[in-house]
Amino acid sequence: MSSTSQKHKEFVAEPMGEKSVMALAGIGEVLGKRLEEKGFDKAYVVLGQFLVLKKDEELFRDWLKDTCGANVKQQGDCYGCLREWCDSFL
Amino acid sequence: MSEFLQDPSVLTKDKLKSALLAHNVALPNGEQRKGVYVDLYLKNLTAQNRRSAAPEPAFSSDEEPPAPVLSGRSRSGRKATRKTDRVRPEEIDVTELTNEGLKDQLLKYGVNAGPIVASTRKLYEKKLQKLLDQGPPETVVQLSEPAVTGNSQNGNTDSDQYSDKEEEATKAEPEPEPEPVPVVERPMRSRGKAPVTTRTRSGQHKIEKLSAVEQTPKTPDRDVLKELFPNETLNTPTGISATRRQPIKGAAGRSFSDSWRDDLRPRLTEIRHTSSSSSSSSYTETRSAIHRTNAVPLNALPLSSILKPAAPPAVQVKTRRRLPVWLQLLLLSAVAGFLFFVYQAMETNEMNPFGQSASSGALGSTSK
Repeated sequence: MSSTSQKHKEFVAEPMGEKSVMALAGIGEVLGKRLEEKGFDKAYVVLGQFLVLKKDEELFRDWLKDTCGANVKQQGDCYGCLREWCDSFL
Repeated sequence: MSEFLQDPSVLTKDKLKSALLAHNVALPNGEQRKGVYVDLYLKNLTAQNRRSAAPEPAFSSDEEPPAPVLSGRSRSGRKATRKTDRVRPEEIDVTELTNEGLKDQLLKYGVNAGPIVASTRKLYEKKLQKLLDQGPPETVVQLSEPAVTGNSQNGNTDSDQYSDKEEEATKAEPEPEPEPVPVVERPMRSRGKAPVTTRTRSGQHKIEKLSAVEQTPKTPDRDVLKELFPNETLNTPTGISATRRQPIKGAAGRSFSDSWRDDLRPRLTEIRHTSSSSSSSSYTETRSAIHRTNAVPLNALPLSSILKPAAPPAVQVKTRRRLPVWLQLLLLSAVAGFLFFVYQAMETNEMNPFGQSASSGALGSTSK
């Protein structure tokens, strides 16, 4: 099995609906707050950004880093989470 | 000294503020929008830049070297500007590009950019800047190809463009060697394939890499194998030769001492005893030496078959045991006795235990 966190598994298991941005894997309280301040208050908004970047890993990681200061691990977790969600539901 | 940029919006707000402070520009109180600082910067510093940069050809008379001018023109934030062919005639300031222009520039590098909107623009600017730093598009394509194709969703459609571009590149420019891998590859490839063409890097890049890599493990493996098995006189088809393992002492009736005949008599009786309960003896043997190979039972069978008719074999066999025989026999007898005891302690199932009182009395009598 891959080493995905509980948060990841929960997020990927169902449509995100109106989940908060903090439901994303890798995004905790601090990062979530920063994202919300920038206007990304829901998970689907971040999804929107992910999709606009054409699901490109590098670009999405850069964007996350610039927007909320996520470190490499957090970037990876969030990217993986969204990508897997897209694979299942998009 | 700060370099006075044409477009200070590429700097962060903090940097703008510090630059302004460094040049004694009065900052407005409190946190202002970045645009405010940008304007201030432009007004105060870039104006100075223009003033002092007017006599541009006269390099020596300037307070600040013209390098910042060039850098401002060519690249915002690049520390050292080389006046080489890197400075291209077309616009290189990524921030001044329009969305379409940015997309076109990225396309030259084979990057199929997505929609360049407000939220994505900065990212694509950064990306283009990175690509520009790496060099002209033709050489960069080789670099970005493995990276881009790594993103399965993004890179696949662009593979067609690469081959065209690289033909130009290898003709026009001398190939830089950005990665150590291609450098290593070439001597490898020359060994394996005659046409060591640098042109065929794009599509066959990966294939050649794989083939080159395949060759490399083979040769070290052969050397290692030769080292491990220097005995080449056997020359078996597989190159593998099996040597008979040293027989284990104490196994299948082999004695501990080297000479078989010394312990023959007592050994025989022991062997007979063991062979009588063959199943349990094999059990103890397996317990004592778990890692025995198939050679042992093969040796054991002929030996036991020889010994059963009680004919003393004249074979001198080396025996080696983990546990001494007597100890194994002791364990065996202990286990057998225990099992017997358990069996004795059991009650018979012939009669209904829940039923008649007569049967229960019979049951009670059977115990112990």
